[in-house]
Amino acid sequence: MSAVPAIHVNVEDKLFQNRYKVDHGRPHIQIKKPEVCANDCKDQSCTFVCPASCYKAEGNGKVTLITDGCLECGSCRVICTEHSNVAWEYPRGGHGILFKFG
Amino acid sequence: MAEKFDAIVVGAGPSGNAAAYTMAKAGLKVLQIERGEYPGSKNVQGAILYSDALEKIIPDFREDAPLERHIIEQRMWMLDDNSFVGTHFRSEDYNKPPYNRYTIIRAQFDKWFSSKVREAGALLICETTVEKLLMDGDTVVGVRCDRIGGDVFADVVVLADGVNSTLARKAGFHPDIQAKDVALAVKEILFMPEEVIQSRFNIGEESGVVIEMMGSVTEGMVGTGFLYTNKDSLTIGVGCMLSDFKSNPNRTSPYALLEKLKRHPSIAPLIEGGEMKEYAAHLIPEGGFHAIPKVYGNGWMIVGDSGGFVNAAHREGSNLAMTTGRLAAETVIAAKGAGQGFAAKQLKAYKDALDASFVMKDLKKYRDLPEVLHTSPQFFTTYPNLVTGAMQKMFTVDGIDKKTKEREVLGSFKSARRLTGLVGDAFKLWRAVR
Repeated sequence: MSAVPAIHVNVEDKLFQNRYKVDHGRPHIQIKKPEVCANDCKDQSCTFVCPASCYKAEGNGKVTLITDGCLECGSCRVICTEHSNVAWEYPRGGHGILFKFG
Repeated sequence: MAEKFDAIVVGAGPSGNAAAYTMAKAGLKVLQIERGEYPGSKNVQGAILYSDALEKIIPDFREDAPLERHIIEQRMWMLDDNSFVGTHFRSEDYNKPPYNRYTIIRAQFDKWFSSKVREAGALLICETTVEKLLMDGDTVVGVRCDRIGGDVFADVVVLADGVNSTLARKAGFHPDIQAKDVALAVKEILFMPEEVIQSRFNIGEESGVVIEMMGSVTEGMVGTGFLYTNKDSLTIGVGCMLSDFKSNPNRTSPYALLEKLKRHPSIAPLIEGGEMKEYAAHLIPEGGFHAIPKVYGNGWMIVGDSGGFVNAAHREGSNLAMTTGRLAAETVIAAKGAGQGFAAKQLKAYKDALDASFVMKDLKKYRDLPEVLHTSPQFFTTYPNLVTGAMQKMFTVDGIDKKTKEREVLGSFKSARRLTGLVGDAFKLWRAVR
């Protein structure tokens, strides 16, 4: 199979089209123990599977999470089976993504 | 809140609306709780509406439901990086009312469905997230909302809270969904003038086309792409099993996969000039029959995506959602009439009704398909590549005789899968869908 050139996509450009009501200071998803991501998780698959790119590999081995652009799909919780290191709740009522079309 | 309801429905998607509508219509006192600003604001679907399931709930829905286009043509494409081989099925029979299915925009459709629920007499509260189920022993007696004084009580709680099934999971009714049993899909909506859509897709003012795609675009992952025509917009998306995304050695993000699909030389001209106005992602429960959890107990029932009711083989979900919502509601109505309470013994009628309906019959028919596809990624890349390669060889006129070309095509199939592999694949697929 021929190698497909990597496509660079800026997901922020996509998320910019969406409507959100961010619950400032109250992220609905949290990394339970950041040191588990840094020390124990080899593949850090949340950093590329998350469709809103909320999880970022910081280069120093750490993973950071900013939930402002979250699409509330649940993938991060479901794939984090080995370490169960994601505390996942829905946002408070009325907050988070507000799909105009869905 | 001391007020007690006959039923509380958590969620205002297709299954929750079907359940709330059916119960309210029968005169039950129904409370429906939705975490979004309005019904539909948290909901994502392709989206195709199958008429039959909704007709059984609201027979005259066509009079005022927001429908985009009725589908007259289904295209199935196998893609490699540069080409596609497709089958198109178009029938004038699909162009005569009453139409069998439509494209819809869920935020608009769910708002409409919800207005019918309220007209029927149910009380809807939005912008309210249910935190957990209230239990008395092993019986669900109500829900706790994230509002002050947010405890509400009911004889039955219908869980229509979507694929993540947060409430049943927290209550220990079933474990978390597995990555192998769920697909992650992303999509965009692209706006363009109606006339452009009509000329590009060879359709009229009301009619529409669906394209389903498989092939190298998913990088060997089990998954498909889709392109749907709405009134003045196109929906384009791609979904693959979440476990495959996680283990894909390319570490490709879902949005990069979608971008690749949009740039495919066979797709790009169809969507050119479209103005992107929303990007969405959603999980789809595709584990099928074997992944369906226990869907009823003392004072509770699970409907729709929350119960895993999706027929992935036929891309059906919203119709199963509405049907399960309706059957759960009918069970509650009958139980209330019988006056014997709402324990598991009474609510078992819901499971019996599911088993007797197309919902469980279809899921049972395809029960082995998820496993077969999971262990046979060749169906999603190798075969599409072989078929497009064969077509290219046979249709390219270059002085090589056709007999030689046939031998080369056969050779490409044999070297990719060997004869035993080819026969084995055909048998596996046949057994999984028979």
